[in-house]
Amino acid sequence: MTYENTTAFGPDWMKQQDQKRQWMTQNSLYREEDEHASCGVGLVVSINGKASRKVVENGIAALKAVWHRGAVDADGKTGDGAGIHVQIPVRFFYDQIRRTGHEPRQDELVAVGQVFLPRADFGAQETCRSIVESEVLRMGYYIYGWRHVPVEVSCLGEKANATRPEIEQILISNSKGVDEETFERDLYVIRRRIEKSAAASGVGQLYIASLSCRSIIYKGMMLAEQVAVFYPDLMDERFTSAFAIYHQRYSTNTFPQWWLAQPFRMLAHNGEINTLKGNVNWMKSHEIRMASTAFGETAEDIKPIVPSGSSDSAALDAVFEALVRAGRNAPMAKTMLVPETWSKQGKDLPDAWRDMYSYCNSVMEPWDGPAALAMTDGRWVCAGLDRNGLRPMRYVVTGDGLLIAGSETGMVPVDEATVREKGALGPGQLLAVDMSDGKLYHDTAIKDKLAAAQPFGSWVEKINELDAPLARVTEAPLFTGADLRQRQIAAGYSIEELEQILAPMAEDGKETLASMGDDTPSAVLSKKYRPLSHYFRQNFSQVTNPPIDSLREYRVMSLKTRFGNLKNVLDESSAQTEILVLDSPFVGNAQWEELTRHFNAPMVEIDCSFAVGSGPSALQTGLERIRAEAEDAVRSGAGHLVLSDHASNAEKIAMPMILATSAVHSHLTRKGLRTFCSLNVRSAECIDPHYFAVLIGAGATVVNAYLAEDSLNDRIERGLLNGTLTEVVSRYREAIDQGLLKIMSKMGISVISSYRGGLNFEAVGLSRAMCAEYFPGLMSRISGIGVSGVQKKAEEIHAAAWQGATGVLPMGGFYKSRKTGETHAWEAQTMHMMQTACDRASFDLWKQYSARMQSNPPIHLRDLLAVKPIGDPVPLEEVESITAIRRRFVTPGMSLGALSPEAHKTLNVAMNRIGAKSDSGEGGEDPAHFHPEPNGDNPSAKIKQVASGRFGVTAEYLNQCEELEIKVAQGAKPGEGGQLPGMKVTDLIARLRHSTKGVTLISPPPHHDIYSIEDLAQLIYDLKQINPRCKVTVKLVASSGVGTIAAGVAKAEADVILISGHNGGTGASPATSIKFAGLPWEMGLTEAHQVLAMNNLRDRITLRTDGGLRTGRDIIMAAMMGAEEFGIGTAALIAMGCIMVRQCQSNTCPVGVCTQNEELRSKFTGSADKVVNLITFYAQEVREILASIGARSLDEIIGRADLLGQVSRGAEHLDDLDLNPLLIRVDGADTVVYNRDRPRNTVPDTLDAEIVRDAARFLQDGEKMQLSYSVQNTHRTVGTRISSHIVTKFGMRNALQEDHLTIKLTGSAGQSLGAFAAPGLKLQVSGDANDYVGKGLSGGMIVVRPAMTSPLVAADNTIIGNTVLYGATDGHLFASGRAGERFGVRNSGAKAVVEGCGSNGCEYMTGGVAVILGTVGANFGAGMTGGMAYIYDPDSLAQSRMNMETLVTCPVTIVHWQEQLKSLISRHAEETGSPKAHDILRQWDVEKDHFLQVCPKEMLVHLPHPLSDEAKSIPAE
Amino acid sequence: MAKQPMLKFVSIERDMPKKRSATERAEDFKEIYAEFAAEKAKEQASRCSQCGVPYCQSHCPLHNNIPDWLHLTAEGRLQEAYEVSQATNSFPEICGRICPQDRLCEGNCVIEQSGHETVTIGAVEKYITDTAWQEGWVQPLAPARELDKSVGIIGAGPGGLAAADRLRRAGFQVTIYDRYDRAGGLLTYGIPGFKLEKDIVMRRNQQLVDGGVTLKLNCNIGEDITFEALRAQHDAVIVATGVYKIRDLDVPGGALSGVVQALDFLATSNRENFGDDVPEFTSGALNAADKNVVVIGGGDTAMDCVRTAIRQGATSVKCMYRRDRANMPGSQREVENAEEEGVVFEWLSAPEAFVNDLKIQDVKTVAGQAGPVRGVLGHKMRLGAPDATGRRMPEVIEGSRYVEKADLVIKALGFEPEDLPHLFDQPELPVTRWGTVKAEFGSGKTALPGVYAVGDIVRGASLVVWAIKDGQDTANAIIAELQPSAAIAAE
Repeated sequence: MTYENTTAFGPDWMKQQDQKRQWMTQNSLYREEDEHASCGVGLVVSINGKASRKVVENGIAALKAVWHRGAVDADGKTGDGAGIHVQIPVRFFYDQIRRTGHEPRQDELVAVGQVFLPRADFGAQETCRSIVESEVLRMGYYIYGWRHVPVEVSCLGEKANATRPEIEQILISNSKGVDEETFERDLYVIRRRIEKSAAASGVGQLYIASLSCRSIIYKGMMLAEQVAVFYPDLMDERFTSAFAIYHQRYSTNTFPQWWLAQPFRMLAHNGEINTLKGNVNWMKSHEIRMASTAFGETAEDIKPIVPSGSSDSAALDAVFEALVRAGRNAPMAKTMLVPETWSKQGKDLPDAWRDMYSYCNSVMEPWDGPAALAMTDGRWVCAGLDRNGLRPMRYVVTGDGLLIAGSETGMVPVDEATVREKGALGPGQLLAVDMSDGKLYHDTAIKDKLAAAQPFGSWVEKINELDAPLARVTEAPLFTGADLRQRQIAAGYSIEELEQILAPMAEDGKETLASMGDDTPSAVLSKKYRPLSHYFRQNFSQVTNPPIDSLREYRVMSLKTRFGNLKNVLDESSAQTEILVLDSPFVGNAQWEELTRHFNAPMVEIDCSFAVGSGPSALQTGLERIRAEAEDAVRSGAGHLVLSDHASNAEKIAMPMILATSAVHSHLTRKGLRTFCSLNVRSAECIDPHYFAVLIGAGATVVNAYLAEDSLNDRIERGLLNGTLTEVVSRYREAIDQGLLKIMSKMGISVISSYRGGLNFEAVGLSRAMCAEYFPGLMSRISGIGVSGVQKKAEEIHAAAWQGATGVLPMGGFYKSRKTGETHAWEAQTMHMMQTACDRASFDLWKQYSARMQSNPPIHLRDLLAVKPIGDPVPLEEVESITAIRRRFVTPGMSLGALSPEAHKTLNVAMNRIGAKSDSGEGGEDPAHFHPEPNGDNPSAKIKQVASGRFGVTAEYLNQCEELEIKVAQGAKPGEGGQLPGMKVTDLIARLRHSTKGVTLISPPPHHDIYSIEDLAQLIYDLKQINPRCKVTVKLVASSGVGTIAAGVAKAEADVILISGHNGGTGASPATSIKFAGLPWEMGLTEAHQVLAMNNLRDRITLRTDGGLRTGRDIIMAAMMGAEEFGIGTAALIAMGCIMVRQCQSNTCPVGVCTQNEELRSKFTGSADKVVNLITFYAQEVREILASIGARSLDEIIGRADLLGQVSRGAEHLDDLDLNPLLIRVDGADTVVYNRDRPRNTVPDTLDAEIVRDAARFLQDGEKMQLSYSVQNTHRTVGTRISSHIVTKFGMRNALQEDHLTIKLTGSAGQSLGAFAAPGLKLQVSGDANDYVGKGLSGGMIVVRPAMTSPLVAADNTIIGNTVLYGATDGHLFASGRAGERFGVRNSGAKAVVEGCGSNGCEYMTGGVAVILGTVGANFGAGMTGGMAYIYDPDSLAQSRMNMETLVTCPVTIVHWQEQLKSLISRHAEETGSPKAHDILRQWDVEKDHFLQVCPKEMLVHLPHPLSDEAKSIPAE
Repeated sequence: MAKQPMLKFVSIERDMPKKRSATERAEDFKEIYAEFAAEKAKEQASRCSQCGVPYCQSHCPLHNNIPDWLHLTAEGRLQEAYEVSQATNSFPEICGRICPQDRLCEGNCVIEQSGHETVTIGAVEKYITDTAWQEGWVQPLAPARELDKSVGIIGAGPGGLAAADRLRRAGFQVTIYDRYDRAGGLLTYGIPGFKLEKDIVMRRNQQLVDGGVTLKLNCNIGEDITFEALRAQHDAVIVATGVYKIRDLDVPGGALSGVVQALDFLATSNRENFGDDVPEFTSGALNAADKNVVVIGGGDTAMDCVRTAIRQGATSVKCMYRRDRANMPGSQREVENAEEEGVVFEWLSAPEAFVNDLKIQDVKTVAGQAGPVRGVLGHKMRLGAPDATGRRMPEVIEGSRYVEKADLVIKALGFEPEDLPHLFDQPELPVTRWGTVKAEFGSGKTALPGVYAVGDIVRGASLVVWAIKDGQDTANAIIAELQPSAAIAAE
C-alpha cells in the first residue's frame, strides 16, 4: 500500500507525534496522565447464556447509536476509540485453525489472543511474536499459530490509520487439559509475563487486547459505527456470542492510541476514577500479600498488578481482573471496588449488606468517581454504577430473553409489544446475569446473594468502633501560658489566623466565609514565613467529572478512618477484620491518649524535630532518620507509628509535619510496609482544614492538631469561647470534618480512605527534586523551594519564637491586608490612584498607578518575567486602534445578586458602549434590559452565563446575547457551589430567578447535566440549538490538566475557552477555598494554549483569560501566553467605587457595589464613564507597549511565549525556580490564525431542522399545527430550535395555546428532549426518553407515555432518564413511568407528574410543583428551598428517604392543596392515559390520604394557604 | 460569622464621647472630651467595617492595626486590644488625644469616604489605653535580658521617648538628655492640658524611669556636655531635639510689648498649670486675662493659643489667618472646638504691622513706634491662582486695610530648626538648606557613624505621631545594627 506515503500521516508523522508528546511532557505543562476519557458504554447479554448471532448484532447496532457520545477528530473519521467484547465463537475459530493447516483439538479448549503488533517495523514484529510464543510455550500450552485479522482500513481516518497496529490473533490450545478456570488464570499470567518481557526488551508497541479461552475484544480508533466495518469478523454469520460489552470513547486528547480504546479485559467504564493516585499507591502495598496467596510462585509475574502508565479505567480493570483471577466473581469484585454508600444510608439497608460493606471497607479502599460499568468474568455479566450514580445506565429486558443495558435507552430497537421490563440503575446498584444458571439478578437479589455467601456478620464483629470511647474523654490542653505563646509563634500562627480562621470554626462548627479574590504572592514568592501547606493547591473537578455536594449529598460521603493491619485483600476470613475504626481522622488531645490505649499492636513514637545549629543539611538528615526509624519500627512489629513535633523546644526545631509525614509514608510505601501500620500525626502547624487535607493526602491516618486545640483552650480561659474544651473541640472537629469533605468533594472524591495518601494536589513552587524524593507523584511544574530552603524557613520562625523576648503574635495579613503582613496587590494608594484616574479620565495618573503596581514585590509568576521586543519600536500611529484593542475586553461573570443592580447595569452599559462585552453572571437579567435605554445605551449583557444554578436561564434569556458562557468552575472556589442568602433575595432578584423573596437560593457544585465531557458536548449542543447565532464559551479554572480538558472542550464544539486564574473574585466563599484551590492563570493558560496547539485545535478556539489582570503589561503577558481576550473583574469594580472591604458576603458593602440593601445602594458612585475610561487606559497602555516592542497589533504577539524571558529566579533560598515550562512554544503554533470573527463552530442539525420546515405556517401565520415523527436516541435536543423560533417570533410571554404546535414522536427520544421548550409547543412522545428531558423548560409542555402496545406497567418501569427538568422555569411535564436520578433538580417553575423517581429527587428545587405517583429514591428534596412536592406514598416509605434539613412534610388536608394535586393528576391522566392516575382518581376520597405533601420550611411564611391546620404551630425558621 | 459584632455602621450612627459644654471647659485646662463608657466604646468600635484594605491603617504613620483593636474592643477584649494597640504605638493614649484623626485614619476611613461617617478611632484608641492604665495592664518595661550597649538620646520629646521605649524593651542602656526641667518636650510644655492632660505624659515619663531609662534634665548639649563626649559615652546617639527656632513675622511693631511668641505663651500656661511659680504669668506679660487677644496663624499651635487664651479669661480672642477655612493647615475639629468656646476667626486676613493705636494708616508710617500693642494692622486677602504645589496663593485685596483691636498678639507661625552643627559644635553633622538634619529614610542614620536623628529635627515641624514613628524606626535600626539577634523579637 502506498496509502501511508501519500498523506501527511505517514509513519514518520507517527514518530514525530510520539516525539512531540514526549517532548511536551518533559518540557511543557502538558502531562500525558492528565488525559481524560469518558464515553458511552453498554452491554447485551442473553440471560439464558446461549450464544447467538443476535447478541452480536445488537451490540453492533448499539455502537452505531452512541456515536454522539464520542468525539471525532478534525479529519471526520478518526474517533477516540470504540470496541466490543464478545465470547469466542468456537466454530468460527475452528474454521480459522483449519486454515492454518491444523485440525482443531475439539476436546481441548481453544484460547484466542487479540494482539496489537508494531506494523511498520517488521523486525520488532518478529520480536513481539517470539515473546508471545515463548511465554505461551513456557507455561506448557500448544500454539496452533497466528491469524492475520482481516481489517477494512478505508473506514479509518488518516491519523487512525497512521497509528494502526498490525492486528493478529494467536490461537492456543489447552494442551495441558486443565480446567477452564485454571486455563484462564494461566492465560492471565502468560499475558502479564508477555507484557513484562516486552517492556524489558524495549518493544513499545506490543499490546494484548485480550487473551482468553472465553472471550475476545475487537477495538480500535474508529468511530463507533465503524467497528464492525473495520473488523469484518464481526459480520460473519458464524460469529455468535451470549454477551457483548461495547464502548465508545470520548477523549480529551486527539493523539490516537489504539490500546486506549475500551473495553478492557473485563470491564468497560464510562466515567472517571478520581482516587486513582491513592488507589494505585495502596495497591502497591496490598499486592505484596495478595499476589502470593492467589498466584503462589507466579506471584512476581503479575506484579505490579496495575502496570505503570495505566489510565484510570485500565487500572480499575487490572485490579478487577486480578480479583477475579484470584477467585472472586464479577459482582463481588465490583462490590469490593465500587461499593455503594452504606455507612449513612439510613434504615432501609439490610444488616447483611451492611456487614458485607463493612467487611469490604476493612480490606479495600473504594475506587471512587463517576462510573457506569459493564463487566464480565466469563460467567457473570454485570452492569453497575458508582455510589453517586453519576453516569446513566438504562436497561431493558426483552421478550426474547436479552438484557440490554447502556448509557441510553433506545440504542437497540426492541419489540415494544413483548418487552418485559425497562429500568434505570440507581446509585451503587448492580444488575447481574449468571449465564451458566441462566438467571437475571436485580440489585437486591444479587446483593442478598453476595451478602449470604460468607459469614460477613461474624467477621465484622471484631471491628472495634472507637467513636464511643473517644467521645467520653474530657479534653485537656498540652501547653498553656507563655509556653503556648512561644509555640504558637514557632508554628507560624498569627492573630488573624486565630481570630478569623480558628475561632469561627470553634464557635460555629463552620469555616469562615470571605470574599473577593486572592491578591497575595504565591508562597514561593513570599518574603514572609508560609507554612508548607501553602505550597499545595487543592485539585478539583471540572468537566470530566463532577464535584460532589458535600452538604446536600452528605450521605454518600465518608470520613471513616481505619487503623491497624489491613491484611490480605484476598483473604475471606475474619483475620482481616481485627481493626479499629473512627468516624473521622480528627483526634483531640485527650482522645489521642485514649486512642493509644486501644491500639492492638505496639506503637512507636518518632520525634520529628532537629537540633538548632546542626548544620545546613540538618533537616535532610532528620528526614532520613525518621524514615529509618519508621522502617525499623514496622519491621520489628510496630502496628502504629506516631509522628510528632511536640518535642520541639528552644533547642529543637519542628520539621514541617507535611514533609515528615510524606517522607515516611512514601518510604514505607516503597518498601511495601505501609499497610502494616497506621501513621498518626501530631502537628503544631496544623490549624485549618487545608492543612489537615494535605497531611491526610500525604498519608496520615489520623491527625492531632494539638496546638490548635491548646489555642482554643487559651480562648476559653480568657472567656472568649463558651463551653468546655471538649465541646469546643467537638465543634472544631465538626468544622474540620466539613472542610475535609468539601476539599474531597470538590475533586469528586467521597471516601477519605481513597483520598488518603493520594496527594491530590498540585505543588506550586516546591522543588522538583524534593517532590521526587518526598512527595512522589506530586506534580510540581516550576520547581522552587527545596529541603534546605524549608530548613532555613523553619529555623527563622523558630528563632523568632524562642530567641525573641516579646512573645507577641504577628498580626497576620494573609486574608486581609495589614501593613506588617503579606503583600497585597491592591492597596489603598493604588486603588485610590486608579479610581482617580478613571474619575478624571487621566491617563497620566493611570500610568503612575501602573508603575506603582509594577513596583510591588513579585506577587505573580509573571512578575519574574520580562517582555522582549519583536524588533525596533514602531510609531504609535501604526499600532491598531484603541477601539480595536478595547473590543477584546470582557467584564467576567458577576451576578446580579452579588452585585447591586446599579453596578451590574453600569458594567453592561459601559462595555456595550465600547463594543466590548460584559457577562451577565449567574442569576438572569431583567428582561427590561433587552430594550435600549432612552439615551440609546444598551443595558443588556452581550454574554449570558449558564451556571450550575441555572437561575433565570430561560429560552428568552438565551436568545438575548451574542455569547453563552457555561461556567464550569469559578476561580475563587473551583469545585464548589454557592449560596445566595435569603437576605439578598430582593423582589427584583426573586423575579429574575423565578424564586421567592427572602428565600435562600443554592447553586450546586456541579452542573447536574455535566458529569463528563460528553455531557458538556451535549449542553453545548443544546445551547447552540436554542440560540442559532451565539458562540458558546466554556469557563474553566486553571489547574493541572486544564490543557487536555480544553482540548476535550474544543472537540465538544465550544467556540471560546476562558481560563480563569485562581485569584479571581467571589461574593462569598470559604476563606481557605479562595486561598488554596486552583492555579495562577499563567500556568493554566499556557498549558491550554500549548495542548490545543499540539492537537491542532487552537484555531478553532478563542482563548480568554481572567484573574488579577491589573495593568497593560499584564494584558501583554497574557497575550503572549496565548490569550486573545481579557477579563477585567476586580479592577472594574474598583473603578466603580469598590475599595476591597472584602465584606461582600455580609450585604454591607459601604459603597453600594456589592449589596442589595437599598440604603447602601444609594451610596453607589460608579458610572459607565469610569468603566469606559478604565478599559480605555488598559487599551492605551497595551498600545504603547506594543509600539515599544515593535508590534502593530495584539495578534502579532498572541501565543508568543518566546517573547517572555525569566529575569528573576525568586529568592536566594530557593532551588531553581524555573518558569521555562510556561514559555515553551509548540511546533506549528506559529501557523495558528487568530481570528475572533470567525463564525461559530457548527453542530449537526437535529430533527428540528425538519420540524422548522414543516411548521412554516405555524411560524409565519401562527396557525395551529400538529406534526408527527419517529425518533431514536440519536435525535437529541428535539423541540429546542423550534422554541428559539417561537421566542423570537412570538416572545416568551406569548398568547399561544398550550398545544398550538403539537409534535408527536414515536420511539426513544434522545437526550435533552424539549430543552428550553417555549410556551405554545407541546411534545408528545410515545415510547421513552433519555436524560435531561425538559432541561430549562421555559413554558412548553412535554408528555411521555409508553407505546400503546407496551405490556409494561408504566409505574414500575423507567420512562425518562436522569436530571429531568433541570433549571426549568415554567411549563408542564407528564410522564407515565418512572424518572431517573435527580428528577426536578433546581426546578423553579415547571409543574410535573411522574410515577416514581430515583435518588436526589427535587434537589435544590426553588419553585414549581412535582407530583410523584410512586416511590422515590434516597435523599429526596435535599436543599429544596421553594416549590411544592406531593408523593403518593401508601406504604409510608417516603419519609425515610427524605433529606429533611430544609423541609416539612404533612398529609394533604387543606382543600387548596388538594385541588392543586388533583387537578395535576387529572391532567396527567388525560395527557398520558396513565392507568395509575386513573386508579387514584377513581378512589380519590381514599387515595388523597395516601399523599405526602413536601414543603420547604422557608416557604411556610410565603404560602397563600397554610399546609395544615396544625402547620401554624411549625415555626418558620 | 453571626457572632462577629462588627459592621454595625449600617445600623449604628457615629457618636463621640460627650464634650463638656463650652462655658464649663473655658473655666479650666482639663480635657474637653469625657471618656467613652465601656458600652459606648464597644458600640462605636463595632461600626468598623473590618476592611480588606484598611485605609485607616494605610494613612496612619504608625500603621496601627486599627481594625484589629476595634474588633477586640467591640468584643469587650480590652486587654488584648491594648496589647495590639501598644505593639505598634509607644503612646497610644497620647495619639488618641492629639492626632489630627480627621486628616489621618478617620479621614480616610472607608465608611467615612462612602458617606456613613467615620468610626471614632481616636476616641476608642484613647479609651483602650486609659483603661489599660486604670486596670493596671500596663506593665513596667522589663527587658528579658540586659545588653551592654548604650544609647544616648538628645531630647525627651515624643521621638526621643518612643526610641527610648523600644530600645529599653530590647535591653539597651538608655540615657535621655533634655534642656527642660521636665521630660516630654512639646507634649509637656507645648500642648495645652485641655488637649492632653499632663499626668498622661508624666506617667509615661515615670514608666521609662521605672523601666531603667536615665533622664538627664536641664542639660544643654554643647554647654553642659559636649556632643563629642556623648558620642564617646554611647554606642549610638539619637538627635531628637525637635525644632524650637521661632519662625518670626517680620513686620513693623514686633518690638511692642504684648507681642509674644506662641511657644512662650503656651509653655508659661503649662508651667502655671503644673503649679510652678511663673513670673511672666504673674506679671501679666504672658497672661491673656481680660485682654483682647489676636493670634496670628492657622496651624495647630495657633489653635492651642486661642483656646488657652479663652481659658485664661481673655475679653476677646481672634485668630487671623491669610487663607480660608478650607485651606488652613490646622485641624478642622480644633477650629470647631475653638469656635464653640468663643474664638472668632478672621479668615483671609494677613497682618501688616502691630500698632499701638487703632488708626488705619499706611504701613510705612508706623515705623519706630513703642509702648504696648493696641492692635493689628491688616489686609483682607483672596485666594488667587494655585502655585506650583497646587495650593492657591493668597493675594492682597487692595483697599481692604483695617485694624484689629489687640492687647496681646500671639505669633503662631511655626518653628524652624536651630543651628545644630553650630550648637553642638559639630560641623560635620550634615544638614539641609532648611537646617534640618540629613538622615536616612527609615533608619534615621546620619553621615556621622553612630549618630541618628528623628522627628521634627529631620522632618521640620510635623506631627507627634511622625516623631513616634521615627523614634521606633530608628530604635529598630539601632537594634538591628548593634544586636541583630534581638531584632527578630522586635518585629
